[in-house]
Amino acid sequence: MSIQSWIAHCMWSILITFVTLTLSVGPIRAQGTTATGVSHVTNPAISANALFMGSYASEQTAEAATGMHVQELEVRFTSFVDPYWKADFILAFPGGEGVEVEEGYVTSLGLPYGMRMQAGKFYAALGRQNLLHTHAFAFLDAPLVNQRLLGDEGLNEAGVSVQWLTPLPWFVEVTGQVLDGANERFASADGGDLLYAGHLKSFHELGDATTVEWGGSAAAGGNAAGGTSSLLGADLTVKWRPLGAGTRRAFIWQTEYLRADDDSPGATAEGGLYTQAQVQFARRWWAEGRLDWLGLPKAEPRRAWRASALLALVPSEFSALRLQYSRLHDEGDNAHQVMLQLNVTLGAHPAHNY
Amino acid sequence: MTTAMQMNTRMLSRLSIPRVVAVLLLGAGTVAAAPLRVVCSTTDLAAITRAIGGDAVEVEAIARGPQDPHYVQARPSTMRLLNRADLLIYNGLQLEIGWLPLLIEGARNPRVAAATGQIDAATAISPLEVPSGAVNRSMGDVHPEGNPHYTLDPRNAARVAALITTRLQELAPADAEAFETGRRTFTDSLEARRAIWEARSAEWRGHQVISYHKQFEYLVNWLGLDVVAYVEDRPGIPPSPRHVSDVVERMRQDGIRLILQSTFTDPKPGERLAERAGGLVVVLPAAVGAIDGTDDYPQLMDAIVGRLDDAFRETTGER
Repeated sequence: MSIQSWIAHCMWSILITFVTLTLSVGPIRAQGTTATGVSHVTNPAISANALFMGSYASEQTAEAATGMHVQELEVRFTSFVDPYWKADFILAFPGGEGVEVEEGYVTSLGLPYGMRMQAGKFYAALGRQNLLHTHAFAFLDAPLVNQRLLGDEGLNEAGVSVQWLTPLPWFVEVTGQVLDGANERFASADGGDLLYAGHLKSFHELGDATTVEWGGSAAAGGNAAGGTSSLLGADLTVKWRPLGAGTRRAFIWQTEYLRADDDSPGATAEGGLYTQAQVQFARRWWAEGRLDWLGLPKAEPRRAWRASALLALVPSEFSALRLQYSRLHDEGDNAHQVMLQLNVTLGAHPAHNY
Repeated sequence: MTTAMQMNTRMLSRLSIPRVVAVLLLGAGTVAAAPLRVVCSTTDLAAITRAIGGDAVEVEAIARGPQDPHYVQARPSTMRLLNRADLLIYNGLQLEIGWLPLLIEGARNPRVAAATGQIDAATAISPLEVPSGAVNRSMGDVHPEGNPHYTLDPRNAARVAALITTRLQELAPADAEAFETGRRTFTDSLEARRAIWEARSAEWRGHQVISYHKQFEYLVNWLGLDVVAYVEDRPGIPPSPRHVSDVVERMRQDGIRLILQSTFTDPKPGERLAERAGGLVVVLPAAVGAIDGTDDYPQLMDAIVGRLDDAFRETTGER
C-alpha cells in the first residue's frame, strides 16, 4: 500500500468516525459523557468551502470549456490532537465528484528554538502560489507556470516538513522538506525515491502600511529517466494597506519565477513567471490584473503567455463573486475565456494567511 | 517633556535598595533581571499593562491604534514578536478570531501557545449583548460570546487591570509590589477622572444617538446614552440605501442629531446620513493611539468625552 492510499484510508476512517459521532451525539450535551464516551466538546472545528463556476471559452480544452460546474468543494477539520500535535485534514471534491485528500497533516506544538514540524500530506514549500488552496487563489485559476510545471493540483505530496524561525532581528524562516516523489516530474522508474525541497522566506516591514516579502525555493529528486529533476523558484510580494482605511483600501503586487530542469539526456529546461496586482478600491470591491509568461528559458513545445483581468465583489468574509477574463496565446493559438465564480465558506471562522 | 520627566521619576523610584541588591546578587542579564516581555492584541490592553508594569515589563501591541481591530493582518513580523514573548494578553469575545490563531501558531512559542502564557482579558468583565437566542451569519458579524468593545468603559479598564496585575505578579513575583503600586496608581487616577467624565456627561444622560457600528455599547451604557439605531444594516455589513432611509426617517421623527462612529469607519455613509437628516457625525477614537494625543488610556477617555461634549454643545446651541 502506498503512503498516499494509506493516508487516504486513514482520512476516510476519521471522516466516518466524525460523521458517526456527530450523528449519534445529537442534542446530548457534555453531561453524561463519562458513561456514553461521546461529547461535542472535543469535536474538531469544521469548515466547508464551495466554488461554483460558469465559464465561456472560445476554444474548448481540458483547462477551459464552456459550461457551468462545481469547481471544487472542500471540507476542513482542525483540532488539537493532544498537547503535542495539532491536526488539519482537508478533503477536496474537485469538480464536485470523487474525494481526494488535499492536505492532511499534523503540526507540532511546543518545539523549542523556533522550530515547527509537520508530517502528513501537504503542499510543498515552493514560493507562495503553490501553498494555496483553490478558494484562496488570487485569480480563478493558477498561474500558467504553476499549472504547467507543477500540475493542476500543485506539488502536493506526503512527507515531513521542518520550519525554523531564525533568531535574526527580522522575520526569516527556513523550511526543509522530505517528500514522497510519486508524481510525474519526480517519480523514478522503481517508484522508490524521495524529493527534497527547501524554501527561504524573508519579511520586512516598511512602516505601518507597507510590507515586502521575498523568498527562494529549490527542490530536487530522481526521475523516471534515471536523471535528477529539479525546480528553482523566486518570489516577491509587496503589500500596502493604510492603517485607518485598511478595510477599504489595499494594494498587493506579487511576482514569482519558477523553472524546472532535468539532467537526463534529451530533456530540456523550462520555466516561466507571473506577475499580478490586486487593488481594493472599496470595502467590497477588488480589481486585479495578471500577466503570465511561459518559455523562460525557452522550451520549444511550450511557449505561451496569458493576460487576465478580474473584478471581485466581496460582500463579507464568507462569500465572494468574481468575474475573470483571460486571453491565452499558446503556441500560436489565441483563446479567450470568461469565468464567473461564486466562492462561499461556512462553519468555523477562517483565518487569513498574510 | 512631562512624559520624559515622569519616566525619569519612575526609573529613579524603581532603584530601591532591595532591587539594587537583588540585581547585584543575581547579576545583570539573568532571567530575574530581564523585563517580562508582554504582547497585547490591542493598544488599550497594552496601555493598561504599561501603566501597571512600568519598567519591569516590555509591552508591545499587535493592532495599531488607528486600525479596525477586527481586521488586523497576521504579519510574519508579528509572529516574530510573539515568538519572543513571555505573555500574550488578548481582548477575547472573538474580536481577534480572524488573525490571532494564525499568529500564535506561526510564533512557535510554547510559552504563549499554552493557556498559562495567555490572558483572556474578557474574563475580567461581564460582557454586554450576549445573544440569548440562536446566532447565525445571516445576522452579520454577531459575536456569539458578547460585544467585544468593553475597554471603552473605564470601570472595565480597572477590572482588566486587576486581572493583569494578578497574572504579572505570578510571572514575576519579585516585582509583585511594584505591579500592585502601578495598578493602584492607574486605578486611583482613573477613578478620579471618572468622576470628572461623569460630571461632564451628566447633562447629556438619556440622550438618543445613532451609532455606525456596535462599537460603543459599553461607552453609552456607562454614560447613559441611548443608541436607537445603527447605520450598519447588521453588524459588519455596510448599509443598504433602504436601511439608511429608515434611519433618516427615525432621526427626523425623534429629533436625533448625533451619529457616533470610529476613526477607522468609512466616513462617507455617516456624512451622507448627517446631511440628509440634519445630523452631526462625531468621530470618536475607539482605541489608545487612534488619534494624536491619546497615548494612554485616560487620554483616550478624555478625548472621547471631550468630543462628545463638544458635539452635544454644538447641537444644543450652547457654546
